This record gives sequence, structure tokens and C-alpha cells, in this order.
Amino acid sequence: MSPRSLLIAAAAFGLMALQAPARADVDPEALVEPVADYKLYVLDNLDAFVSHTRDFTRAIKAGDLERAQSLYAPTRVYYERIEPVAELFADLDASIDAREDDYEKGVDDPDFTGFHRLEYGLFKQRTTDGLAPYARRLMSDVDDLESRVQGLTFPPARVVGGAAALMEEVAATKVSGEEDRYSHTDLWDFQGNVDGSQKIFALFKPLIAEEDPAFVERVEDNFAAVEATLAHYRLAADDPEAGFVSYEKVSDADRRALVGPVTVLAEDLSTLRGKLGL
Amino acid sequence: MSQSTPPSSRLLRLGVPAAAAAMLAALGLFALSLDGRGSPDAGTRLVVTAEGCRPETLSVPAGDTTFTLVNDSERAIEWEILDGVMVLEERENIAPGLHQPLTARLAPGDYTMTCGLLSNPRGTLHVTANDEAAPVARLARQDFVAALAEYKVYLTLQGRRLTDAADTLREAIVAGDLETARAAYRRARLIDQRLAMATGLFSDLDQRLNAHADDFARRENDPRFVGFHRLAHGLFTAGSTEGLAPVAAQLVEDVRTLTTRLRRASIPPAQLAEGSARALQVWLDHSGDPTADQSALDARERRDLHGLTQGADKIVSLLDPLLERRAPTLRQRLHDALDTLQKALTDSTTADGADRDALVADTRALVDALQELNPALALNG
Repeated sequence: MSPRSLLIAAAAFGLMALQAPARADVDPEALVEPVADYKLYVLDNLDAFVSHTRDFTRAIKAGDLERAQSLYAPTRVYYERIEPVAELFADLDASIDAREDDYEKGVDDPDFTGFHRLEYGLFKQRTTDGLAPYARRLMSDVDDLESRVQGLTFPPARVVGGAAALMEEVAATKVSGEEDRYSHTDLWDFQGNVDGSQKIFALFKPLIAEEDPAFVERVEDNFAAVEATLAHYRLAADDPEAGFVSYEKVSDADRRALVGPVTVLAEDLSTLRGKLGL
Repeated sequence: MSQSTPPSSRLLRLGVPAAAAAMLAALGLFALSLDGRGSPDAGTRLVVTAEGCRPETLSVPAGDTTFTLVNDSERAIEWEILDGVMVLEERENIAPGLHQPLTARLAPGDYTMTCGLLSNPRGTLHVTANDEAAPVARLARQDFVAALAEYKVYLTLQGRRLTDAADTLREAIVAGDLETARAAYRRARLIDQRLAMATGLFSDLDQRLNAHADDFARRENDPRFVGFHRLAHGLFTAGSTEGLAPVAAQLVEDVRTLTTRLRRASIPPAQLAEGSARALQVWLDHSGDPTADQSALDARERRDLHGLTQGADKIVSLLDPLLERRAPTLRQRLHDALDTLQKALTDSTTADGADRDALVADTRALVDALQELNPALALNG
């Protein structure tokens, strides 16, 4: 048999193998623990989200523009981490995190509230004047979110799907810089989404590590690549609390460099549900 | 593939056309994806324009439905199916002009749809009952993952609170502060009773934490009699913290062991209802004696029952979505039994004493309903 026909045969078998649906041999009971741990992770982050929102909204009500500006991004991080669960509540997701483009009348729309309305006031108009009602509304929405999430039984397929959803979110709205267009704090949100996605992956990794080591390695390499690019823009290399430079300072080359691993991560992670039999 | 055994030519003859077919299929899909408008859209078609959904109202039969979402507006949109405020299904970031498929499994009922801009009117989705639909599928083990995970979260959070309360209890006893110790006992014991179903899985801990004096040869004076009832005997009957410090220290240690084990415990789904019924039955065995000399329950018996009922309530709420279609009558009975018992317990805190016979009857009704739960869900083991 000629090497060439061998090659064709190998390609043929390869293609056929690719068409076989991903079959999962994961014991459903093995999913219980990571799903429970994920809820505990979400509750911890929600707890921090509530107390940061309290400080942030207090600064606005006190008219302290500089403090309010400095608390905007560090507060949002917690929401960005737990977004797959938070956005299950459509009404709160809209009132907490919708952008002006979601409304017909944009920034002037009376229904436009939440973080991005406050961002517009704090960073574009550069004043806390008139923001107190939005701050009060945000605080009560965040309290409401906490009590609803506490009472929520997490849907396992949603939890696992959240890993990919977070990376899709990054690819769709973070890389372009449209999410935080006035504050340019996109890298904070970016990091929050990556943290949340990595957490989900880490929790379910033990269930697939043995069967699919190449997949695990590829995902970890891509997370490392994204983290390395993000680290490049940290204000202090050893202090994650210090945060990031303005997104305006991120070079076009780096923005493009982020798209690659983020897109591959979103695609790879979208197979996680199938691998786990969900 | 080892080099010494090349693939047979027969396999090759099969493989090459298969590869060719697969490539053609892939090319075809690629071509279709390039020109979505030219392809017939699968399933139910819904167009989102700058103003909202076209049509505004859709009606589909229950079960799996494939929607094809067409973005006929100028901006990227998201589309969601909402049950009240909860998102059931969604597609984000559908680019202008794109045809995006989405398959959803829907139960009969009325839902709403978001249609592009948040300021656009919502669409309506009617899902009609389908007589030909297969009867409710038998539950698979996977259907219990969500309930068991949520129960684990509950056990973890309650376990943290129990640890705190036990620490406070021990400190108060060591300090000889009777009133603080009594208050801490009540708090810790309430949580302990909420966890009774799960603690029952570990007989050693269950005995050290929850055994009654009657379980021992020398009753209150038996050195092996420790745990909550031993502390209660000291704090409430004898009215002193005297000699309780070692018992409290043991309790703190046992509670820590319990929380560690609960983190790792794998609870079989059938144990949820069965274990809850068993925990309530234990209470009945001790407090439900018709020959009891007191017709009124004392405050501690009543509070124990309160904790047990809260624990059972959590479990029923977890199984609720599974019961909804499979055993609606039993589901109603469980809710009624819980409501009746909880109301009786709340009412009795204001009265002089709780009527033993009435609470015992209410508890029995709940136990009976819980015992029918596993057969209704075809669970065993």
C-alpha cells in the first residue's frame, strides 16, 4: 500500500471520528459537588458585590465624585464574575447592567438605570448631580439580586454553560471597548469574566482531566495566554486590587492578540456541557 | 495505527467515499452559513426588527421546538424566552442579517420573549399542551443533580451557622453564663434539627449529638449520655452550667466533624424524602406517646419539631419541580401538610402550651405524605 493511500485512509478515519458525537461517561452524581461549590463561590462574590455596591452608592449620594469614580470598576468586577447566574433574572440584569444602546432613546431613556447610567454621569458628565436616585435604585436591585440568588436552585447545564458564555461575552463586548465606553475600565470587567469562567472550568476539570488531557491543556494554555496579556496592563504587578490602565492605552495589536485565545476558549468551553453529559 | 497492519483495502474503499461525503456535507453547511437568506429556516421563524418581534405572538406545542431567529434590525440583538422574570433560553449577540437557530424544550404555559431593544414591546409565546407528547419521562439520576447540589449548599451554610452557635454555647458554659448558654443552645439546636435528615446518615455522630437519656442504662447519669439532650438537661432541668464544659467541648468537636463529613457526603436521592420522614418519626417516637403525662408539649419539644419541619420544607422545595408534573396531588398534600404544621407551630408559640395531640396528628400527616414521595418518583434504594 502506498504512503499516499495510507494518508488518505488516515484522513478518512480522522474525519469519521470527528463526526462521532462527544459521548460522556461522567457519573451524574459527580456533578453534584462542583455545582454546589459553584453556588458557594457565587454567594461569596455576591456578598462582596453587595458591600462594594453599598460603598459605591454611598459615595455618589455623598457627592464624592472622585471616590465614586474610583469605586465604579472594583464594584462591577463581582457582577462580571457571576454573570451567568445574575443574568438569569432578566429584569434585574436590565436595570443593573443594561447599556444605553439597549434603549430606544439611549442615555435619555427614562428606563436606563444601573451601572452604565451612573458611569455616564460620573465619567462623561463628571458630576454626581442627579445621580442619587439611580444609586438608590442600584442598591435595592443588588439587594434583591442577592436574595433571589440565595433562593435559586442552580440549573447544572447553565452553570457549566457559563464558562463559555463568559468568554463569548468578552469576545462580543469587552474587546471592542463598548462596555465601559466612558470610564474605559473594560479590563476590570474583562478580568472578572475570565475569573468567573476559569472558576467554572477549574471546578469541573477533575471530571474530564483523565479522559481528555489534551483539551484540558489547551484550555489552560489559552487562559494563561489571556492572563499574561492582562497582567501586562496591571497598574501594580503584584497587587490585583490596584487594577488596570485605561482601555484606551491598550494597543491595537494587543486587542487583536486577545481575540485569538478568547475566541478559542469560547469555542472549546462550549463543548464542556456535552463532555459532562448535560 | 501500527505500521505492520495497514488498513485493509476494503476499509479503505469504505473510508474514501465516506470522507468525500463528509467533506461535501461540510462544504454544503459552510455555503449555507454564508448565505442564510437562501436557506430554508428550520422550525418556527421569528423576525426581530428595530420595533420588536414579527410575529408578536407565537404558539408552539410543548416539547422540543426549534426557533430560527432572524435579525432584521441594524444592530446586534439578544433574544430571550422568559418565564416571569427568569430567563429560560437565550441567544446573545445575533448580528444584523443573521439567521440563528435555537432549540428549546418547553412545558405548556404562557411565556414572554424579549425582542431586541429593551424598550421594545415584549412578544408572547404560547406553549400548548400536546396530547400526543410522550408521557412524562422516567426520571434519570441526572434529574436529581440540581436538587442534591442545592441541598449540599444548604447543608454547608447551615453547618457554618451550627459551628458558630456551638462555639458560642461552649464559651457561655465555660464562663458560667446560664442565660447566654440557654439562648445559644436554642439557636444551635434549631439548626441541628434542620440538619437531622443528613446527620442521620452518620450513626456515631447522630448518637453523640442527639441521643436521649432513655437510650442509656443509667439515663441522665450515664457517662456516655452526651450531646444536646445532656446539655438541655443541665441548662433547663437542673438550671446550671455546672459540669457541662466537657460535654460542650465534645459537642463542638462533633459538630466540626459533622460539617466536614457533610461536605463530602454523597446523599442518595431516595434519602431526601425517606430521611426526612425518619427524622420526624424519631420525634414522634419520643414526643408522640399518647400516654404522655402532659397534654401540652414543652417549649423544647416544640422547637425541635420546628427545626425538623424547616428541614423537611427545604427538601420538599427541592423536589417540587420534579413532583409538579409527576405527582401533582401528592405535591399539594405535602405543601398542605407543611403549611398546617408550620401554622400550628407558629400559633402555639403565643398560646400557653402547644396541644400535643394536634401537633402529633399534623406531624403524622407530613410523615405519611413524605413516605409516598419515593414511590411517586419511582425512586428506591
